[in-house]
Amino acid sequence: MTNMEKIDIITPVEKAVKLLSKAGLDFFDVYAAYSRGLTIEILGKGIKESMSRTDLGLGVRAYKNKGLGVAFSQSLKAEDIETTAHRAATFASVAQPDPYFKGIPAPSKAAKVKGLVDPEVAALTLEEVGGCAKKMIRAVEAVRRGAMYQGGLGTGHSRGFLMTSEGVSVEAEKTSVSASVGPTYRRGDDVGSSYEYDYGITLKEIDFEKIGRQAAEKAVEQFGSKRVESGTMPIILTPDSSSSLIFALLGAISGESVAKGRTFASGCLGKQVAPSVLSVVDDGTVPGAIASGAFDGEGVPRRRVEVISKGTVKTFLHNYYSAGILGAESTGHAVRGGYGGYVGTGPTNVQVKPGDSTLDEMVAETKAGILATNMGFTPNDVSGELSTTVDEGFLIEDGEKKHPVKNLMVGGHMLELYKDIELVSKEGRTVGKGFFFPNIKLKQIKLAGK
Amino acid sequence: MSVVQKGKKAGAKFCEVRFFEEKTKYISIENGVAKSMSSGILHGVGVRVIIGGRWGFASTNVTTKPSVETALKDAIGGAKSIAAQRGEEAKIVDQKAVVDMVVHKPKVDPNDVSEEEKMKRMLEIEKAARTYSERVKDTFVSYREVLTRVVVANSFGTVVEETTPRTAVYCSVISKEGANMQTGFKGVGNVAGYELVEAIKPEKFSVKAAETAVKLLDASPPPRGTYTVVVDPDVGGLFVHEAFGHNSEGDLVFGGQSIISGKMGQKVASDLVSVWDDPTVQKNGHFVYDHEGTKAEPHPIIDRGTLVGYLHSLESAAKLGGKPQGSARAQNQHFQPIIRMSNTFFAAGDMSLEEVLEDVKVGVFLSGSQYGYVETQKGQFTCKAEQGWLIEKGELTEHLRDVAINGLTLDALKNVTAVAKDLRIEMPGMCGKSGQGMYVDAGSPHMRFEGVVVGGRR
Repeated sequence: MTNMEKIDIITPVEKAVKLLSKAGLDFFDVYAAYSRGLTIEILGKGIKESMSRTDLGLGVRAYKNKGLGVAFSQSLKAEDIETTAHRAATFASVAQPDPYFKGIPAPSKAAKVKGLVDPEVAALTLEEVGGCAKKMIRAVEAVRRGAMYQGGLGTGHSRGFLMTSEGVSVEAEKTSVSASVGPTYRRGDDVGSSYEYDYGITLKEIDFEKIGRQAAEKAVEQFGSKRVESGTMPIILTPDSSSSLIFALLGAISGESVAKGRTFASGCLGKQVAPSVLSVVDDGTVPGAIASGAFDGEGVPRRRVEVISKGTVKTFLHNYYSAGILGAESTGHAVRGGYGGYVGTGPTNVQVKPGDSTLDEMVAETKAGILATNMGFTPNDVSGELSTTVDEGFLIEDGEKKHPVKNLMVGGHMLELYKDIELVSKEGRTVGKGFFFPNIKLKQIKLAGK
Repeated sequence: MSVVQKGKKAGAKFCEVRFFEEKTKYISIENGVAKSMSSGILHGVGVRVIIGGRWGFASTNVTTKPSVETALKDAIGGAKSIAAQRGEEAKIVDQKAVVDMVVHKPKVDPNDVSEEEKMKRMLEIEKAARTYSERVKDTFVSYREVLTRVVVANSFGTVVEETTPRTAVYCSVISKEGANMQTGFKGVGNVAGYELVEAIKPEKFSVKAAETAVKLLDASPPPRGTYTVVVDPDVGGLFVHEAFGHNSEGDLVFGGQSIISGKMGQKVASDLVSVWDDPTVQKNGHFVYDHEGTKAEPHPIIDRGTLVGYLHSLESAAKLGGKPQGSARAQNQHFQPIIRMSNTFFAAGDMSLEEVLEDVKVGVFLSGSQYGYVETQKGQFTCKAEQGWLIEKGELTEHLRDVAINGLTLDALKNVTAVAKDLRIEMPGMCGKSGQGMYVDAGSPHMRFEGVVVGGRR
């Protein structure tokens, strides 16, 4: 296998900046990225396919009279950079003025965030990645044989470089490892199926055996699932479900949509949305964490932000554009998806403050309720209404886990669900060294079942 | 020597080189302002081999011969590196060589229409929605044109090239009254050129999105529990794609991830149910050759309740004993072809909508698709509709919002008790699978299902 070649992304960006400087634009930025990824796909009886991917591209955002032109190219040849710059500039002059546009950020200084590159990951071969996948599968088999699989293992190494008309010049480099395995066991028509995952910057922080073992144990536990009566009951969310509850609100207080009053949480700034047991921090500067970086996607320094403090929304998450709409400052949450040119807004490392309960206590004191181990809170972002399935969960009766559930939906309004947050546990799950989600108990949720 | 020949010489049992190029233009309108225009060019090469009983795949954006040869080396090295690991053996059915070139010619080439003209047209479409009612808060219209060229060459001697223009327009509207906000959506997309835009009548398109958003302000949350449900062609399309279609994908079948694995020839649905996936229909999922170079044919999946087919790649056909009919596609050069649906639909029945509704004492009517997903290994699905109505004594009564249904696919299919004759395939969109997006379409006639869980907050 060949390692990441030393491809120069600085010179092409500088070349584009030079061309754009002469194009009569008001603002522009140029971003180039180069990445290499190795993937082992798991399907059926085990390891199925190896994949390596080398990706390279350059994108331009150009502004003229508040109109935006965007262009990108996957070729960094001189003539293609010229075409891309020219196209973005032309589109900018055709586009109409966006009344909300206030410019792009000026350069700022930021402290380096350590530990975002693992040389071991950068040097991995597909054979070694395949070896890690094998460890996961062996660990599944050690719990119970005869699974059919779905999953994979991926490693990535990327470099990006941003330069703007305002003098921002920022380079970033990162590695990543992600692993997941989903075993399915069958016993006649009964299915025991689940999955487990982990991801991070370094190889050392991923325990492949643990992923496999837990996936198998969770899958076996899903045998014998039953339907549950419709009703209203407390629900306990384990970290893989509580994370989704938190992200659903963070999404609704991020960026352009919230700033333009288009989400259910647009009126929540400074308001108490949950009991004081809930506090949430977003910190893009945690050393070695998966969502960290010195700068955001526009070159604004990342920072630690108290988003929800004792139940009150302290700030929205902004990029430069969305902050401008509200006359606020960017909070360093610009997300540049790649070299495609568009910049959005989103959270980084999200950490829910631990409470003083425990999962065992939550279950023990529940007479009748649901323990949701895997469910996605996917509300209508505009109205806040939610109607979704408990993908994996258990019925709790008299303080004990009874049986797995199937065919069960929950419904409600996101802001009502937040008001019903009752307990937050001390313990929880840390992912990628940056995210932390505890178990969260809601007083009640509406169930649609039998 | 070609790269394919070099792969064979290096010991590959099968070698495939796929060139991909996609040019995109995009215009975005928000509240009467064409605030951005964009364009992009994707291009590159993906190389795939079978060696030592395993697949190896590598891709690059750099299309020079040395770079493609490096990708070949990576693919071969990758496959060899996992050959000793226990797992899923790579095998495929032999194919006859096909050499062909297909160019889908649009009636009106988008390149012959100026950017200013396109922008003007989108602003007209958007204005019709914005001025529909004072309760319209925000309106968005986006226009996308895509020209894709794919060349597939493999060690069977196949060399096929297909050039496909696609055009799509989407309109979404947010309505507001006090703190209550609702949404409406309408979209068109097809293998077509600018003629698709010329055919848009705003009163039947963006005005409809605005009307839905505004009327939903006065709708109620749905009741919850188990109900008789009647779905419109969009929700039926969402169901056939999400709840059932993914289960018929051959890779999930041989991978033990599908609830219809091992059920070929068996009864899996009510006699009223027939399901097709047909890439030859001129809809958003249309193509002539798939990305393994197999010519597309219509695929019957369920015939009057009996499972008669799976969707196949060269690999799943070999493993499950079927015939490849063109279902393997890749998002771009960076992905290997995997089994994808194309235009998936429930076949028409012989009833009128009134007949479908008339026996329903109390039920829920669902209309317009929002999103759906399925856990194929368990066969549990969730489908979210744009809006709904309560059905009382065969009549649509109370208007409902935020309605979703959930169920077990095979139970739901067996509980289909009425199928109308009004088949409509108009859900142009992208389907996601294994990190890859793909152009698809779906549809259905109006249909009635008994005993479906309806979620809601009432």
